[in-house]
Amino acid sequence: MRSRSLLRLVPALLAVTIAASLCGCGAESGGGNVIRVTRNIGGREGFRKHFNTWKAVFERNHPGWQLELIDLGNMEGSNFYKSRIATGDLPEIVMTWEMANFLSDGGHLVPLPDAYYEKFGIPLPKPYKGKRYTTQGGLQIQGVVVNKPMWAAIGVTESPATWEAYFEAFRKLREKGYKPLVLGGREWNAAQPLFFAIASDLYDRAADPGKPSWTLRKDKGEVSFAKDPIARQVFETMIRLVDEFVDKGALSDGYNEEQRDFYGGKGATWMMGCWMAGDIEPNKVEFEMEYWPVPSLIGRAPVFIQTSGMQSGWAVTTSATGEKLDKAMAAMETFYDPEVYQEFLNGECQFGQADKVPVTQPKYAWPPAQRLIENMNANLKTYGAVPGYHIALDDMPPASIHDILARVMQEIMAGGRDVDKLLAMLDAEWESARKGT
Amino acid sequence: MPYRRSKRKRGARWEYPILRRPSNRRTIHNALASLVLCGPAIVLYVGFIVVPAMLGFAYSFTNWTGWTGRPAYVGLANFRELLSDTRFLDAIRFTLLESALIVIFFTFASMLLAVILDALRFWKGPIRGLFFYPYILSILVNALLFQYLANYREGAMNTLLRTAGLDSITQDWMGDPGLVPYFIFALVAWSGLGFFTTLYLANLQTIPTELYEAARIDGAGPLSVFRRIQFPMLLPTLTTTSVLAVITGINLFPQIVVTTQGGPGFRTFTIGYYIYHLGVLNNRQGYAAAVSFVTFLALVIIAGIQVALLRRRQVSL
Repeated sequence: MRSRSLLRLVPALLAVTIAASLCGCGAESGGGNVIRVTRNIGGREGFRKHFNTWKAVFERNHPGWQLELIDLGNMEGSNFYKSRIATGDLPEIVMTWEMANFLSDGGHLVPLPDAYYEKFGIPLPKPYKGKRYTTQGGLQIQGVVVNKPMWAAIGVTESPATWEAYFEAFRKLREKGYKPLVLGGREWNAAQPLFFAIASDLYDRAADPGKPSWTLRKDKGEVSFAKDPIARQVFETMIRLVDEFVDKGALSDGYNEEQRDFYGGKGATWMMGCWMAGDIEPNKVEFEMEYWPVPSLIGRAPVFIQTSGMQSGWAVTTSATGEKLDKAMAAMETFYDPEVYQEFLNGECQFGQADKVPVTQPKYAWPPAQRLIENMNANLKTYGAVPGYHIALDDMPPASIHDILARVMQEIMAGGRDVDKLLAMLDAEWESARKGT
Repeated sequence: MPYRRSKRKRGARWEYPILRRPSNRRTIHNALASLVLCGPAIVLYVGFIVVPAMLGFAYSFTNWTGWTGRPAYVGLANFRELLSDTRFLDAIRFTLLESALIVIFFTFASMLLAVILDALRFWKGPIRGLFFYPYILSILVNALLFQYLANYREGAMNTLLRTAGLDSITQDWMGDPGLVPYFIFALVAWSGLGFFTTLYLANLQTIPTELYEAARIDGAGPLSVFRRIQFPMLLPTLTTTSVLAVITGINLFPQIVVTTQGGPGFRTFTIGYYIYHLGVLNNRQGYAAAVSFVTFLALVIIAGIQVALLRRRQVSL
């Protein structure tokens, strides 16, 4: 009799367990007065400082509410976002990079009104399907940061205009006993030289309304890496770069190792986005640096690559509803609070683009950092910036393009020397990734 | 009482027990009890294995991205693409290489180790424990540990070599395409050796001691004992371990995610990692489902052939 009674209890126990676990599923989904924000801090102290200021100002202005950090490390957040989409638990505010279209197509983003941009004097980014979602931020450029004393030691004080001139200088640097280039192959940063060459030379410098971009022509099958002579030249140059100037073991290194080598005075050159300057002050880097434009392979003028023209930055997700949505919007506005915006520009080392915010450029108390900013500003005026393939959300390569470029560079670093195979690899990966967008 | 035995009459023979048919009520009760006890497991299995597998098969005929939009039917397009997908062929090649190394190692090295450990006279427990220890660590911990060991600059292996003055033979264990397959294999081997050895050790305990004694009386040496007694008696476990090792090899995924992430380039893409790359990184769940389905079919065929061959071998022995 007792066993029969126990058996009868089993369905009840099962029902209670299932109900409890169902209730528990939503337990983590941002309960309480908390707005969760993603940020790719990793080893970058400047980014941490920015987030901490954003948090402090928001919490000061909205008592009882918290801004909670979800640190994505050195990676962009696509995997994290996908897992959170699967569990229905995206944070209320997310960094989008080139994923705003992906997130918007899935119905996960809340559009921002034009009034938001007008309030702070932010240049309106190109809408995606008629809508805008992202904070934007500042003018973000990518180029080459150099250890000024090392380059001066070989008599080079101005940016070389061609890759050939860089190679020549690299040889001299090596002869002087310096490591000419810091380049790690383990993470996304492996792609940097390849990305620079493609953005600078494969894409048109000025937008021509009558001529679709290389991306759009590639998607229509009119051009391909395999058939483009400039792409071939790019790959041949990358192979030479790796053969001559990349050390054994570089495939073990990631962003942090690159940064440590460069800031530690062990390397003369680092092909890195302007955000790297945000860590000079926190790391108390003492030597002088300059920021130079990307050289050309085909006789074009050196130029910086501007990656902030399209919709990018932070966006509010549909996880924020009711009062949380109001507070998430408030957090988006807090982003342009002068104190926060200054830390953002400092951390990312970007130039201000919000006309109505009384902050125009990074400001550092650390002299080498401030002098680098002045040099960056002057060079930006001299050489200018082009968008490369960062044109618009609906005119860009597949979202995983940087990962694809990094893998192709890894392939070269691992000994791949067949240019045809490398070009075909890039075409195939682009086309495969495109089918997923 | 389902069985009844009639009373024994003097001089009469024992009657065989009579199987009584259970009552309807009892049958219903038993069925209900079975349902209650097995139901949750069945629901979970159907919910998390059967339904997703069937959905996966259905999605393999679509262009579903997995995250956005609704899937559209594309017929056999995914399977046609698969026929000319060189990345998939490379992934198969790498997976088969790893599987071959893993199967050979786990099938034979574990057996040899088990025989040696079984023959130990002292410290039997602690020494066996040492070999089993890596297995109880999570794959993640093992993989991170190996990642640290293999780092070119600061990894333990190269540090040891440098300390010994052997700078010239330091290697990028994870970055060199010639070494990375063996790096992955070493990680798997180190993690699983204890488990596979334990299977053989358990089997060794079932061999009757009389056989060893008879062999000793006949003057058989350790090699003869292994060849004539242990190896034939270990064959049932060999069947199991080889199938498990094949599964371990084909399922190589977490080790790749944590250590090489398929790199350098695409050189350590296993089938599992390729499916993840397509479905999660490139948002091609439909195509990833087609790859999964084809892989599943191939696995069923391989496992079937393997088991059939090994069973035949067992019978013949």
